[in-house]
Amino acid sequence: MKAFIGIWKMSMKFRIGFTMLAILILLGVFHRLLIRWLLGDIDPLEIGTGGGIFLDPSRDHLLGTDRYGRDMVGLLLSGLPITLEVAALAGVISTALGAIIGFVAGYNGGRLGDTILFTITDMFLVIPTLPLILILAAYAKGLGVIELSLVLSVFSWPFAARVIRSQVLSLRERPYVELSRMTNLSAWEIIWQDIFPNMLPYLGIGLAQASIGAAFALVGLTVLGLAPSGILDLGTLINNANQWGVLSLGKWWLFVAPMGILTLLFMGVALINQGLEDFYNPRLRGMS
Amino acid sequence: MATQIPSTTFEEFEGQEVQQERLLEKKMLLSPAMRYVLRRIGLYLITLWGSITASFIFIRLIPGDPIRAMVAQMQLQGGYNTISTSQSMSDFYEKQFGLNGNLLQQYLHYMNRVLLHLDFGPSLLSYPNPAMDLVKRGLPWTMALVGTSLVISWILGVVVGALVGWARKSRWADTINNISLGLSHIPAYFVAVVLLFIFAYNFPIFPANSAYDASIKPGWSFAFLWSVIQHMALPVIATVLVFAASWLNGTRALVIQILGEDYLTFASAKGLKNRQILLGYVMKNAWLPQISALALSLGAIINGNVLVEQLFRYPGVGQLLVMSTQQKDVNTMMAIVTILIVMTLTANLIVDLLLPLFDPRISYSGK
Repeated sequence: MKAFIGIWKMSMKFRIGFTMLAILILLGVFHRLLIRWLLGDIDPLEIGTGGGIFLDPSRDHLLGTDRYGRDMVGLLLSGLPITLEVAALAGVISTALGAIIGFVAGYNGGRLGDTILFTITDMFLVIPTLPLILILAAYAKGLGVIELSLVLSVFSWPFAARVIRSQVLSLRERPYVELSRMTNLSAWEIIWQDIFPNMLPYLGIGLAQASIGAAFALVGLTVLGLAPSGILDLGTLINNANQWGVLSLGKWWLFVAPMGILTLLFMGVALINQGLEDFYNPRLRGMS
Repeated sequence: MATQIPSTTFEEFEGQEVQQERLLEKKMLLSPAMRYVLRRIGLYLITLWGSITASFIFIRLIPGDPIRAMVAQMQLQGGYNTISTSQSMSDFYEKQFGLNGNLLQQYLHYMNRVLLHLDFGPSLLSYPNPAMDLVKRGLPWTMALVGTSLVISWILGVVVGALVGWARKSRWADTINNISLGLSHIPAYFVAVVLLFIFAYNFPIFPANSAYDASIKPGWSFAFLWSVIQHMALPVIATVLVFAASWLNGTRALVIQILGEDYLTFASAKGLKNRQILLGYVMKNAWLPQISALALSLGAIINGNVLVEQLFRYPGVGQLLVMSTQQKDVNTMMAIVTILIVMTLTANLIVDLLLPLFDPRISYSGK
């Protein structure tokens, strides 16, 4: 909490990013209430509830309606929490995975273990993984939010692993770790007591990068229309807009609204990430 | 890059390894440069094998049987149906597609076919054409798109990034930096949609889809090339904007770090002009590290390109991948994934092998 106030005071980027993300999370958490308040007691995904297809924005429908006559605000509000959930879940899973691999590689992998694990991490970072995610997700029909997050985290853990490994490598050479080692503490004790507490900010950075990676992949999937059938997120709305050719109809807001919200999400997390990096690692300022 | 950090826990095994290396050096069996090259190529082969095997397993784990679906479809059209004919038809096609036997047999068969004959088997999308032919048709378009965007965005990003870093205190540099910080964090696809709406629908300057005007005969004519360039413009600009922004940020950070170095103080004390310092000292130190980053970013740019191709209905491998995924065309999927992996890993290998020739700070010995 103290650290949070410190970062908040120091970094403008963190303030902006955190505010953006907080607004999105609030919208996501209270989406049912908001839908009820704005549209009344309806299911926003039900066809024809908006009273007409492809209506222009008006007072009743702030962003108009889509091809199935559904209110666009309602769709956005019900798509947002899914995007947020998958990004957060996949981010947490892949940070945990990345942390385990980063710690093992960086701390007690030895040279051989570190080389092997780092080569694998590097391989996942270098090769284009989106095609594989596409294929995987397209076939595992009936995936829920949790399974989808698992699939995505298989491909986004390297982002976290890389950040964490490099920090472990530098932390384990610190004098106080050396001291613990001399007093014969076990590797796990050293990791838990000496290294882990100092790693928290980097776990935060790893989490930010991994959830951005997962959100990018999720949006990629749903934008291409290859997402599991039960999942309607913001990317699905973009895919619909693309399929219906709304740009040639001049209804650009059907494209821009979901993209704008996603942009807010990406920017928010990226700014938080930048703020954390600036605060904990001034030498790395602005480097990616 | 990977293992340069000195380790304090010097295990016995490592000591032996170092001794052996010294022994090798003494005997002068291989020069350090040669050893670096061999080690790098070995690593390349291992990662290549690992990633191809991993993607093979991923794709074969897909549930569902495309062959049986196809046979059922054919029988529906043919109008007859007995169990034995359906079985023998399935067997025939499974053999054709390399889907018979258990996973290990399939794997060996697959590796054998791919390595020795560069053949991924027939495609399902346009049976009996080989999957490789489909990929060959799409690959030039994708490579043109990715290659052009990569080169333009890299040059633009590095040059502007160096200037912005150089003039970091001025207001315009700050503005450019903030804009590019924002741009670098959104998918290229989003920028493409905005460009598409403005420059293809609102002001129809550029065409909205496909790779060339269908009324022009493909060939090396000026009209055809011009049409190709026009169709490439919007997807390339969208990708360039996003990726140039991320190069810009990276280069700016590098340059700001370089500006604190002692040799720059010395250079200006020597009375060198600002322009000379910028070109001879700052730029020289900034663009070399960015070359190895260039190869690393290839995967990301290909990922983004799949979406951009889909939006512009561009006939590259990205669109082919989406089509083959929808049709469960296993062989074509494998062919695309494998070729994209080979491309990125090879580009990385080439950069890693060539970079020491340009950058004296990287030595071949890898130590």
